[in-house]
Amino acid sequence: MTKEVIAPHAVERLKGLRSQGSHEGIFTSDLSVNEFVMVRKAEFEPLGLVVGSCIYHMGIQYGSWNQNMEMDVLSQAMYQARELAMSRMEQEAIILQADGVVGVRLEVKRMEWDQDILEFMAIGTAIAHRSGVPGFKGVGGKPFTSDLSGQDFWMLLEAGYRPMEMVMGSCVYHVAHQGVLRSMGNIGRNTELEQFTQAMYDARELAMERMQQEAADAQADGITGVQLHEGSHNWKPHVIEFFAVGTAVKAMEDADTRVDALRPQLVLPVND
Amino acid sequence: MSLWDKIQKGLHEVTEDLEKTVANVASQVGAVNVAPSTAAQQRAAEWQVALQQRRLPSFVQERLRATAAGQRPWIQSGPVAALLMERSHGIHPLGMVGGNCWYHFGFSWTQGHYDGWHQAIDRLRLEAVAMGANAVLNVDMRVRHGDGEDMDYALMGTAVRIQDLPPAWEPAVATVSSLEFVRLLEEGVVPVGIAIGAEYDWYQPWGGTMLDQANQAAPFAARYWNMEIPDLSSFQENVRRRALYNLREDGRKLGAGVLAHTQYSQVFRVNNEQGEGFLCRHIAIGTAVSYEPSRAPQHELLPTVSLGGPLRSFRPHRKDLL
Repeated sequence: MTKEVIAPHAVERLKGLRSQGSHEGIFTSDLSVNEFVMVRKAEFEPLGLVVGSCIYHMGIQYGSWNQNMEMDVLSQAMYQARELAMSRMEQEAIILQADGVVGVRLEVKRMEWDQDILEFMAIGTAIAHRSGVPGFKGVGGKPFTSDLSGQDFWMLLEAGYRPMEMVMGSCVYHVAHQGVLRSMGNIGRNTELEQFTQAMYDARELAMERMQQEAADAQADGITGVQLHEGSHNWKPHVIEFFAVGTAVKAMEDADTRVDALRPQLVLPVND
Repeated sequence: MSLWDKIQKGLHEVTEDLEKTVANVASQVGAVNVAPSTAAQQRAAEWQVALQQRRLPSFVQERLRATAAGQRPWIQSGPVAALLMERSHGIHPLGMVGGNCWYHFGFSWTQGHYDGWHQAIDRLRLEAVAMGANAVLNVDMRVRHGDGEDMDYALMGTAVRIQDLPPAWEPAVATVSSLEFVRLLEEGVVPVGIAIGAEYDWYQPWGGTMLDQANQAAPFAARYWNMEIPDLSSFQENVRRRALYNLREDGRKLGAGVLAHTQYSQVFRVNNEQGEGFLCRHIAIGTAVSYEPSRAPQHELLPTVSLGGPLRSFRPHRKDLL
């Protein structure tokens, strides 16, 4: 690579020179190198890492031993704690005058000393349009939030959509135990355990409903990159959390012209 | 005694008291009575002086100089594909350079991480400068755990020279391979170093946390309630914020933005004489990149859909389905 190919700034840097006291290009983020390049390709610049956290005590709730039911105290707790962490992260993004936050991760950790205390953390990179073009903010002029990676963010914009809000739906559910008589009756038979099937259906349905409702409230057209997590945060074996999370997106006004310019190519790597 | 202390003590013995050292070594190897050769003793002594004076021993300096001058074979870490790219883009591998620092945590594990890595980075730079490099690529970060409160921070990478450029007095230290390095350079982005932000703090709530207070106010009932523990939340958030502020400041020293690849935070509950307390620590480590924000990326980008890996996302292990 001759000097002409490298940007002048890069050449200066490689000679070991640098401009002192400049505020330009000082930021933090948890983007990978590839993501960083792609966010810049999308005409955005990273501003800083934003975090929000919440340490939360979950109330105790006992489910009826032989009944399918939502554990609404736990559902609410998971919901409220996540919401608190997310909104604190958003506050930081507002202070940075960001257009939005990409690469948001929501993490839940149990505290060692008390199994009823959970730590929720939301972390992401606040970004803003390089030349300040308006129209990328999320609901109500607040920064958008999204769990998409830098690459996905670029592709989303290319596909004519902009992110609005990271939406989620959560449902903690108690799956009924089978009665002794019932279990005895099933000995030697191949049969569906309808009660268990129903419980799974109901829990998933509730989580999906809630996520969709959030997206509708955000005036989004759709939700992309949805992931459905099933987890148990050290609860009894029959208590399970369904957690759906994704990015609510809205079509941009010039979506059609953008999409017309798009010609993705198929490639078949021969490496493996 | 930490391993570093042991090494130091060993070095001290070697230089100060030869007889004792011989006896010591002999007792450890059993019947075989081996005294360290004069050359080995000289090397050990020279290392000690060099580390103290923050320079390289003469024999290391000489080997690096000879390698950079082409009198010894060059060394490159990383994939062969990178070698191709290096040839086509005028990047010449010079040799592998490293730096490490085995560090004992006297009062702070968190601060130790900051100091240990920075010491190792400075030592890596020292070797790179000795080779007249412009950058060190493919830098690998590793830690080794000692017996007690100590840890080794180690860095290893390939020093490279870029065609037509004079040697740098402060070579860029990049954790990316040369494949990525080249792509970044074309985008006007230079990975220049490693930035670290670390912070820890204690919280000693008088009369317990808000949760404890709720438990006192409503015994038996409070544990059934959902509630945030606001004092603990904000304590932890502040530690995290300060760690990230430190990360930004560390980046500022390099005149660069930081892409943090590693984030680690922990909250402990500790019981001491004053009662119940909390310790929170947060460490963030990242690649520092220098670029001009006003300069938009120049290269054209062609979206492709690979028929290889990514489309076959449903690939569970057999045990998951059976």
